[in-house]
Amino acid sequence: MAEIKVEGLSKEFGVGEDRVVALENVNLDVGGHVFVSVVGPSGCGKSTLLNILSGIETPSSGKVTITQDNHDAEPGYVFQAARLLPWRTVMDNLLFVQKDRSDATRARCQKYLEMVQLGDKVDKYPGELSGGMQQRVGIARAFSIEPDVLFMDEPFSHLDAITARSLRRELHDMWSQTKKTVLFVTHDVGEAVELSNRILVFAKGGKLEDDLQIDLPFPRDPAEEDVAVAKAQVLRKFEELDLIAS
Amino acid sequence: MATAVATGSRSPRGLPKILRSPTTARILFPFVVLGIWYFIYYTLDSRIFPSPQQVAVFMWEEITLTSGVRYSSVAENLYVQFGISLMRLTIGFVIALIVGTIIGLAMGVSKKVDAFFHDWVMGLLAMPALVYALFLGLALGFTNLGPIIAVVLAGAPFVIINIREGVRNTPKELIDMARSFEVPQNKVTRHVLLPSLMPFFFAAIRYAYAIGWKGLVITEVFASDRGMGWTIKFWYDAHRAHGVIGYAIFFIIFALALEKLVFDPLAERAFKWRPKIDAVQMAEGDFGGVQREGFLFIEDQEIDERERTASMESESHDG
Repeated sequence: MAEIKVEGLSKEFGVGEDRVVALENVNLDVGGHVFVSVVGPSGCGKSTLLNILSGIETPSSGKVTITQDNHDAEPGYVFQAARLLPWRTVMDNLLFVQKDRSDATRARCQKYLEMVQLGDKVDKYPGELSGGMQQRVGIARAFSIEPDVLFMDEPFSHLDAITARSLRRELHDMWSQTKKTVLFVTHDVGEAVELSNRILVFAKGGKLEDDLQIDLPFPRDPAEEDVAVAKAQVLRKFEELDLIAS
Repeated sequence: MATAVATGSRSPRGLPKILRSPTTARILFPFVVLGIWYFIYYTLDSRIFPSPQQVAVFMWEEITLTSGVRYSSVAENLYVQFGISLMRLTIGFVIALIVGTIIGLAMGVSKKVDAFFHDWVMGLLAMPALVYALFLGLALGFTNLGPIIAVVLAGAPFVIINIREGVRNTPKELIDMARSFEVPQNKVTRHVLLPSLMPFFFAAIRYAYAIGWKGLVITEVFASDRGMGWTIKFWYDAHRAHGVIGYAIFFIIFALALEKLVFDPLAERAFKWRPKIDAVQMAEGDFGGVQREGFLFIEDQEIDERERTASMESESHDG
C-alpha cells in the first residue's frame, strides 16, 4: 500500500525582504486507495507541495517519505499543461518515460492510451491533437509507468468545461480500476468534491488549515443534491477560514 | 425556368484562381525580371549592358565548354573554378559550424563565457566582408587559406548567435517533466535538448551557408587567383558584363538547387512534427506552443506553409 508522509515541511523562496513563505510546517499522512484533493487560494503553496513531493523542488526544512510496502514508491505526474515532447509521437511520448521499449512496455502504453480513448492516435504528433486530447496523453503517460502514487497539478484548468467534465469521469474510472493513491491539486472546489474522498484546505502562507472527509458514493454528479450540499459546506469552510477573496 | 449560369472558377475581383496562386506568382517572377531586363536593354542603348540572349549563350558555352576561354593553366573552366570555390566553402562552412556550435553552446550555458565572447561576436557580425577580404589577402597572399578563413569569419557569428539563443530557449517545463519521471540525463539530452535546438541549428546552417558564400566571393575577388569570385573579376576586368551576370546567375542556380535539394528535404524530415498552423495563429504569434524560428531566420518551409494556408483561406472565401 502506498503511503505519503510529510513531517514539518516548510519551503521559502528568496531572502531578506524578498523572502516568501510558500509552505509552513505542513504535516500530512495519506495512504491507500484514496483520492485526495488539495485546494486553496492562489499562492497558498499547492503546486509547491506537489513539486516537492515529485522531486522537482527541495524543501527548506522537514521530511517527505513516499513508500510502497516499505520501499521507495514510484510517483507519476500529470501537469497543468500536458508537457508533451512536440517532436515525438503520442506513443513515443509515453515510451520516453519508460525504463525500456520492450513489446510488453508498448502493450502497456497502448492499454492506457485506449483507456483515455486515444488508442488510434499513437502515431500522431501532439500538435495534431486538441488540448483535451493532449491532456489525455499526459494522463495516460502518468498511468503508463504504473506508479504507486499519482500527483496531479490542476490538470483540467486549461480546458473548456465540457472537455474537463468528460476527462474527470475518465480519470475517476481509471482511479477506480487501478487503485492508485492520488494527490490532486485544484482551485475548483466543485471538481474536488466530485472526485475526492478527502480534501486538504490550504491557506495563504502555505498553512494546512483543514482536512475534510467527503463520504459520498461514486460516481458523483455535480447536479445531485448531496454533491451540491457537500460543495456548499466546503465553500462555507472557506468563508470561515477567510479564504475567499472579497 | 431555371437559368444555367457558367460561373467558372473566378474570384470576386475577376482573376481566375490559377493566376492568384503563390505557384503562379513564383513562376511569373523570372518573366517579370526578363521583361524589365529587355526594357532596360532597349532603352539604355549601351554597348556594355548585355541582352538576355547574350548572357544565355555565354552560359551555355561555359556549361558545354565550347567558349574557348581558358582562364588559367590551373583552373581552366567553369567546373574547375566552381569546384575550387565549393571546396573552400565546404571546409570553411564545416569549421564555422563546429567552432560556432561549441562557442554558442558555451555562451548559452555560461554567462561568463557569454560576456567574454559577446562583443567580439557582435563586432564580427557588423564587420564588412571587404575588410577581412583585404586583410587576408595582405596577410596570407593568394592561397586557399584566406578564402577558407573568410568563410569561417563570415559564417561562425551566425552559428554562434543562433545556437546561443537555442540553448537559452531550452524548454524548462519539459526538463522538469523528465526529471519528475526520473528519466536519465542522456535520454533527456537526446530527446529534449537536441530536438529543441534543431530549429536554431537549421537557421544557423542556412545563414552560415549564405553569408559564407558572400564572404568567399569577395575574398576571391581580392585575395585569390582562382575560384568563382576571381572569375567574376576576370570578366569585370575584360569589360564583359555578360560574363559577370552569367556567373552571378550560376551562383543563384546553385544556391536555389542546394536549398531545394538539400536544405528543404532535411528540414522537412527534421520538422515533420510541426503542426499545420493557420493564419489566425500566425497573426497571434502562436506556433502551437513550440519554438518555431531561429533567431535570425524564418524557414522557407514555413513561408510556404503561410502562403499555402493564405491561398486556401482565400479560396474558401471565394468558393
